[in-house]
Order: sequence, then C-alpha cells, then structure tokens
Amino acid sequence: MSNFIELGPLQLALATVLIFAAGLVSMALQLGVERRLGIAALRTVIQLGLLGLVLEQIFALRNPVLVVGLLLLMTVFAAREAVTRASRHYRGILVDAWLTMAATCLVVGGMVTQVVVGVEPWYEPQYVIPLLGMILGNSLTGISLCLDRFMDHLVVRSAEIELRIAFGATRREALAAPLRDAVRTGMIPIVNSMAAAGIVSLPGMMTGQILAGSPPLQAVAYQIVVMFMIAAAVALGAMMVVVLAGRHFMGVDATLRLDRLTSAKN
Amino acid sequence: MAAFLECGPFSASDGEGRVLFEGVSLSLTDGQFVSVEGPSGGGKSTLLRHVTALAHSPDAARKLNGECFSGAELPEWRSRVSLVAQDAPMIAGTVRENLEFPFCQRTGRERRFDDVRAAGMMTQVGLEQLPFDREVRTLSGGERHRLALIRGLLWDPRVIVADEPLAGLDPDIASVCLDLLLQFGRRPRRLLLCVLHDPAMSARADRRLRLANGHLKAAV
Repeated sequence: MSNFIELGPLQLALATVLIFAAGLVSMALQLGVERRLGIAALRTVIQLGLLGLVLEQIFALRNPVLVVGLLLLMTVFAAREAVTRASRHYRGILVDAWLTMAATCLVVGGMVTQVVVGVEPWYEPQYVIPLLGMILGNSLTGISLCLDRFMDHLVVRSAEIELRIAFGATRREALAAPLRDAVRTGMIPIVNSMAAAGIVSLPGMMTGQILAGSPPLQAVAYQIVVMFMIAAAVALGAMMVVVLAGRHFMGVDATLRLDRLTSAKN
Repeated sequence: MAAFLECGPFSASDGEGRVLFEGVSLSLTDGQFVSVEGPSGGGKSTLLRHVTALAHSPDAARKLNGECFSGAELPEWRSRVSLVAQDAPMIAGTVRENLEFPFCQRTGRERRFDDVRAAGMMTQVGLEQLPFDREVRTLSGGERHRLALIRGLLWDPRVIVADEPLAGLDPDIASVCLDLLLQFGRRPRRLLLCVLHDPAMSARADRRLRLANGHLKAAV
C-alpha cells in the first residue's frame, strides 16, 4: 500500500496555479465568481488541513470515545449544511436533519462497517471515519434536496393537497404525493451516479484507492459497497426526514399548516 | 328545531393582522339552502375554510347531527362537510380521477363511485362532450368549475359548503347548477351552505346570512 507518489508543499503550491487559472477565466469573462472561488479554495485548504491533522491524531490514538465524538460532530455539521442549502425552513428543521443523519449513520454505517466489511476493532478509525463520512456527505445532498422539494411541493401544490383534504383525506393520504415526489428527487443524484459509474466517471473514492496503490478490483469492490451504502442511506434518510418534516406541517387532524414555513435567513 | 350543523367559535385575521371575524358560530338546520353574503375581502371564504376545518381553528367545536368531531376525527368531518372551493382546484390527472378520488380515500372506501350518475350529471351541466379520460389541465375555467361542482354532488356528503360555485358560468348553466345544488340541499339530513356573488341567486336561499364588520348576522 506504499507505492504511491507523496505530495509535499511544493506540489500543493503548483496545484494552486490551477485555481488561479480558473479565477483568471472568471475575471476575463466578468463572471464575478473569482471571489467566491478564492474563498471556497481557502476553505478547502483550511478545512481539509484541519481534518488531516485531526485524523492523524485519531488514527494514532485509536480511542473509541474520540471516534464516536468525531462522528457526532460530523453529523452536526452535515445537518447544518443540509439545512442551510434548503431554501425554506421551519422551526425544528435542524433537529429533524440531525436526527435523520444520526439514524442513517447508525443503521447503514453500522451495517456496512460491522457486518459487510467486518471492521476489527469495531471503531477502527481508518475504516469507520471515511465510510461514515461518505454516508454523511451523500445523505446531506439527498436530504437537503428532499426537504427542499417537499416544502416546495407543499407550497406550489397546496391547492391540490387541500382538495384531497377537503374530501376527507387523512394525513397519510394527503402527504403521500409530496412525500413520493420529495424522496424521488432526493435519490436522483445517487441513482444517476450509480448508472454512470465506471462508464462516464470513475468514482472519487475508487480513484483515490487506485492512486494510493490498491489493486483495481479491490477498489471496485469497495466502490460497489460504498455506492450501495449511499443509496440505502439516501433512501432511508430522505424518507425519514420528510416524515419528520411532514409532522410539522400536518397533525393527525390533517390540517395543512403552511404558516409554519419560514424563509431561509440568508 | 335541533341544529343539524353546529360549529364555532371561529376567529380569523388577514395577512396584515386586521380582524376578519371574531367569535363567529354557526347553527343550521337540515334540508336548507343557506347563503352567505357580504363585502368582498370580508372573510367569507376564510369562514368557509374554518367551517370545513381546512383552516387551523383549535378552539372551535364541530357537531353534525349531534355527533362531535375534533382532532383525528377531522378527516371524517371533512368527508361529511365538504368544501367546493372557489377556484375549482383539480388534482393532476384525468376527469375521471378528479371525480373518483374521494371514493378511493379511506373515508370513502365503503362507498362506490357511480359512473352512470356521473355521466348523467355531466350531461345536465353541459359537459356531455367531455370524455372521462381527458386530462384536466386541458379544461377551460368554466369546465373546471362545473366539474368541481359535480364532484361535490357525486360525493354526496351531508353538507356541501360551496364558495362561489357558479362564478364565471353562463346564466343558463348557472341556473341548472343552482337547481342541482338546491336539489341536494333541500333533502332531509342534507344542507347547502353557499357563498354566492349574484343577489338574484342568493334570493332563492331559505336562510340568508351576511358577514360584515366581523359579525355574521341574518341578511335583511
């Protein structure tokens, strides 16, 4: 596993040239994204740098409390990010997003690390953290898309929903269409990337493993596990988050409460 | 005479916080056509949404024929006190799906959708040329209004609460539709509560109410 070319400060500095090139394009075409590009690049360096330092420590210490603590922290950040991306909010959206993240991590992450991969010891950070990180990163996208679509559906098609309610629909019946629509939307990215995997794109994780010197078939095996894991996580997460969100907008009395929507603060 | 439909008290204010009505209650007998009149923007539509429990009104009590409804029983209430809304909303799909869906929901599962009766009613209101498999998004405004009205009548709830169901219809068709509504409402253990724009139509009501300045009173 050590036949790879190490990257040092010089190599990273050289890579920065690429970001400057992108910035120049933005300036030449007056796209106005150079500032955001710069900040994003800076964030990438700082966030990944910090993560690297933390991971080095955690890998070295191999302490289960630290691993679980880091995972919890990651779920909090993922939930925050998912909520920030949604264009509408409601009171309690952050709690719902976090509960969803934590539950999918526990169920899907637990299944993959403990049963499929069979990590020893159970908290082995080298496996647990990257795998759960991938679950979080992808369910974050799925959950925010899903929440966004769900609330959008409630607003845009409220007349249709209330029509069903006006003729006696129960909460479950009234929310069935928005729920289906939202979960489908949330799953589009992962379904697309599963369909394109290997033909159009080399998935990032597999690429990484190959660069790090893994035999390609091993990288493929891991990638398949990861894709299935993400699909399950997104499906479960999307379903759970809209069921939780649905409770805020409709009680057992099946009255549609759009007054509980708030617009995003930023 | 004992009241058939009793509900309230309802209070509501508009988007700017102006009070539309406060402490309004209804107590109506069966077999009647009751009209609600009043200035536009006065809260008539909002009141109908409260009666049909589409608007959140936690303090209100609702009683139909002596039976109380609250909380998880509100879907059942709405299946008996059904709103024919003002803008004739439709679910995406065909004419048939729009007429039939109430019978596919839990509250209507024991009842059967009657094709023959539906076709007969469509003929009565001048929609005989409309095939059941036509997509509703291709319908004109007038066609949608008539379809929405027929949906309410076919569903045959205890109470039809209709918000300007005749708006935008030809006078001839409007009069046929009103007759159908009257036939519905003037049966025992049925009731028609209706907001109507046209005073001539309201004049045919058995009881006329007026919502103005936040109060519901008998119209003079």
